[in-house]
Amino acid sequence: MLRHFISVSNITLFVYYLASNLIYLALLIIALFASLRHRRRLASIRLEHMRTSPLAPPITVLAPAHNEEKSIIESARGLLALDYPELELIIINDGSADKTLEVLREHFQLRPADVLYLPELPSAPVRGVYMSQNEPRLLVVDKEPGGNKADAVNAGLNAATKPYVCVVDADSILERDSLLRIMVPILADPRRVVAAGGIVRVLNGSRVRDGQLTEVRLPKGWLEVLQVIEYLRAFLIGREAWAAGNMLNIISGAFGIFRRDLVRAVGGYRTNAIGEDFDLVTRMHRYLLEQKMDYRISFVPDPVCWTEVPSDLRSLARQRARWHKGLLDVLWPNRDMLFRPTYGRLGSIGLPYMWIFELLAPVVELVGYTTIILAAVLGVLSREFFIQFLIYGYAFGTMISIGAVMQEEITYKRYNDWRDVIRLVLYCFFEHFPYRQMYLVWRLQGFWQYFRKDFVWRPMKRIGFHGGDSKN
Amino acid sequence: MGCVSNMPILMAVLISPGTPGRFVLQAIVVTSAGIALLLFFILGRRGLRRRYFHRRDLRVFALRKQWEGILNGSVPPESWRRHSLDSEIVEEMLFEGMEAAHAAGQREEAARLLHVLRTSGLLSTRMHEASEYGGWRRRRALVALGRTRAPEVVPVLAGALEDEDLETRVAAVRGLGGTGLAAAATEMMDRVVGRGLSTPGLTLQNSLLQCCQGRPEILQPYLRQAQGRAREMLSRVLGELATPAMEEDILLLAADPLPEVRASAARALGVARPLAALELLGELVKDKEWFVRLRAVVALGSIEDARVIPILIESLCDENRYVRLRAAGALAQMGPRLEQIVEKVIETRDRFALHAIISEIERAGGIAHLFGAISDPNRRVEATTTLLQALKAGQEQMRTAARGELRPVAAMKPGKAGS
Repeated sequence: MLRHFISVSNITLFVYYLASNLIYLALLIIALFASLRHRRRLASIRLEHMRTSPLAPPITVLAPAHNEEKSIIESARGLLALDYPELELIIINDGSADKTLEVLREHFQLRPADVLYLPELPSAPVRGVYMSQNEPRLLVVDKEPGGNKADAVNAGLNAATKPYVCVVDADSILERDSLLRIMVPILADPRRVVAAGGIVRVLNGSRVRDGQLTEVRLPKGWLEVLQVIEYLRAFLIGREAWAAGNMLNIISGAFGIFRRDLVRAVGGYRTNAIGEDFDLVTRMHRYLLEQKMDYRISFVPDPVCWTEVPSDLRSLARQRARWHKGLLDVLWPNRDMLFRPTYGRLGSIGLPYMWIFELLAPVVELVGYTTIILAAVLGVLSREFFIQFLIYGYAFGTMISIGAVMQEEITYKRYNDWRDVIRLVLYCFFEHFPYRQMYLVWRLQGFWQYFRKDFVWRPMKRIGFHGGDSKN
Repeated sequence: MGCVSNMPILMAVLISPGTPGRFVLQAIVVTSAGIALLLFFILGRRGLRRRYFHRRDLRVFALRKQWEGILNGSVPPESWRRHSLDSEIVEEMLFEGMEAAHAAGQREEAARLLHVLRTSGLLSTRMHEASEYGGWRRRRALVALGRTRAPEVVPVLAGALEDEDLETRVAAVRGLGGTGLAAAATEMMDRVVGRGLSTPGLTLQNSLLQCCQGRPEILQPYLRQAQGRAREMLSRVLGELATPAMEEDILLLAADPLPEVRASAARALGVARPLAALELLGELVKDKEWFVRLRAVVALGSIEDARVIPILIESLCDENRYVRLRAAGALAQMGPRLEQIVEKVIETRDRFALHAIISEIERAGGIAHLFGAISDPNRRVEATTTLLQALKAGQEQMRTAARGELRPVAAMKPGKAGS
């Protein structure tokens, strides 16, 4: 009986693993073509014309900040220095316990401006709205702590006045032309393109001056470098490829642009969502598909947002557990979208992929470990075969990661230093052990926390990129 | 991605005695070859690119030294056209030079550079690419042709407007816009109005703006014929470029049944400021569409005339919060008349209007001006009365808030939501 179970389980896992490999290979190939197409399209676009055009649609940049006193001024200055003809910046102070508001008040000479706020979308109570005396494009919304980013962004959306909203993390750095670049698909087809996501990359290790990135370097720590590879894989392969089929259902909370009327139409961010970015985009898909609207949600790989990633295991574990909880928190309520014709490709391909190869991956992995131990105990483990398959799995995973590095190399090439590229490639060989196993545990923790209804947001330890010229 | 290298899955698979071992071995070989190829590609490409840029730098220095000779023909084009890299560098240098010359208004220099493009055959090569090639190469050629600003490229670019591929049409529109020529505008508008050219509106509008700059009258005949979306689009361009001489057309636009067109008319009135501007804007601030009213208020704010004050005060009581905010912002900029403005706003008995104006005055640093007026013996009585009334109104508002009718921050009347 047990032997039979192991045999069935083996076949299932074999098919699962083969399918996941083939899918990822297909995604890599699609992403490569999509990137090349985008690069060629860019050759016929002159950003300087957009930069000076009086017709460019105005954008509100929403930057929620929670205990960001170290970096908020740098961030605000960086965001205000973005190249875009008409820009409004709203910083939402989400009940910071530090001096975030005081620092902003002092630097930007904030004054209360009580007339601007209309609470149409749900959020924790707002304590005050402030306008700057020396920067007319800046508005600060000070609110009670909402416990999550969604709550803060909703408060910002209530105060936003422009037709497009760009949601960023206050601790992230946007490249100067990133708004112009992320608007490229929207300007090319404003009726259909309702949202666009940009690429998020790892800031750790790079040099920052006055809120602007001055030198891109690979981080020193192994944990951060492994995250660089993960980010490259997720954005340059995963998102690029899914967006090519209009099935992109995550626009990173660190950098994405949305049509404001549509965000309001779907009720803004769900304030109790754990993965608010994934949740919003899924609900937007649902709404637009139910309305039978012809639309696109795009991914643009060149407008770069640089963000600080966890540099210690504890913070990383918390972040990854939260991400996995977020995944479950969105997929479960939207399970009715699966395989229903109304939801098109998203319902029949995109979401099933998320269920099978993202959400359930740690469970399958755990079953795999259990089965191998059982097989060893029962003496049915073929050692030779085991080693062969181990090598194959290792080689395939490495190939996909190096594929992501190659995608970066042939398209955007941000790491100019040879040593950085060599280190990046080398780390592709070393990410399978023990990092993968730790990642499995963190994701299982995410499941555990979700089922225990443990939705507390746990802060991440940050270094910050404060100071005039600092190395992050 | 988490599943890509799921070791346990592999391990589980291996325990089945019937699993095809040869397949796994083949997979290992193929995957290892894939890794080797990728590594070779990454490192090889880096090396090649490094060499390429080094070589390019050297050629740029060499060609810069010969630049005058290239321009006056003493260095014959054959000598540098033979090498594709040299050709590419010279073309880019010519384009950059032409753009700089146009920006600086140096027409002769621009003409000299264009002459080199023509005599060297670079221009005809690009025209050939734009006519005969397909895909991205054609699109790149179309945009490059736009940078030349040569009249002879207009028919080639216009021809590409007929292409079935949207991206090619967009590149053609961008190219035509780049020329900045009236003929290019005419080609675009002929197709927009006559044949329903389908390209993204913003790209087309930007190109038309570039081509109609300084000569908006070429829009007039098309605007009269255009209907629907074409009319909306052309009126938006006119809104940026209108002159007082176009008053008659603006008048027609202001009465158009399409709200987008009326909004553009408001913009045009603010830009051109014809004699009837105030009267027309006074009508448009009462429009049923909030964005038409908003544009009208913005236009009024740009007109320095005391007669706009009562109209803006009326807009301060608008049902739309964006209109109110813009009106308050415009009024707050009218420094010397602030106390009269505040007084008149008090007379409206609209607490939201008062709140908006005080907030905007404060933001614009006008509160000090009001206090300054108090210290002026001639204006003290008037200013003090105004401030007292404002304070009284503020207290009234606080009392209302305390009664719970008004949320302290959300200072909005029920039903006065912004659209």
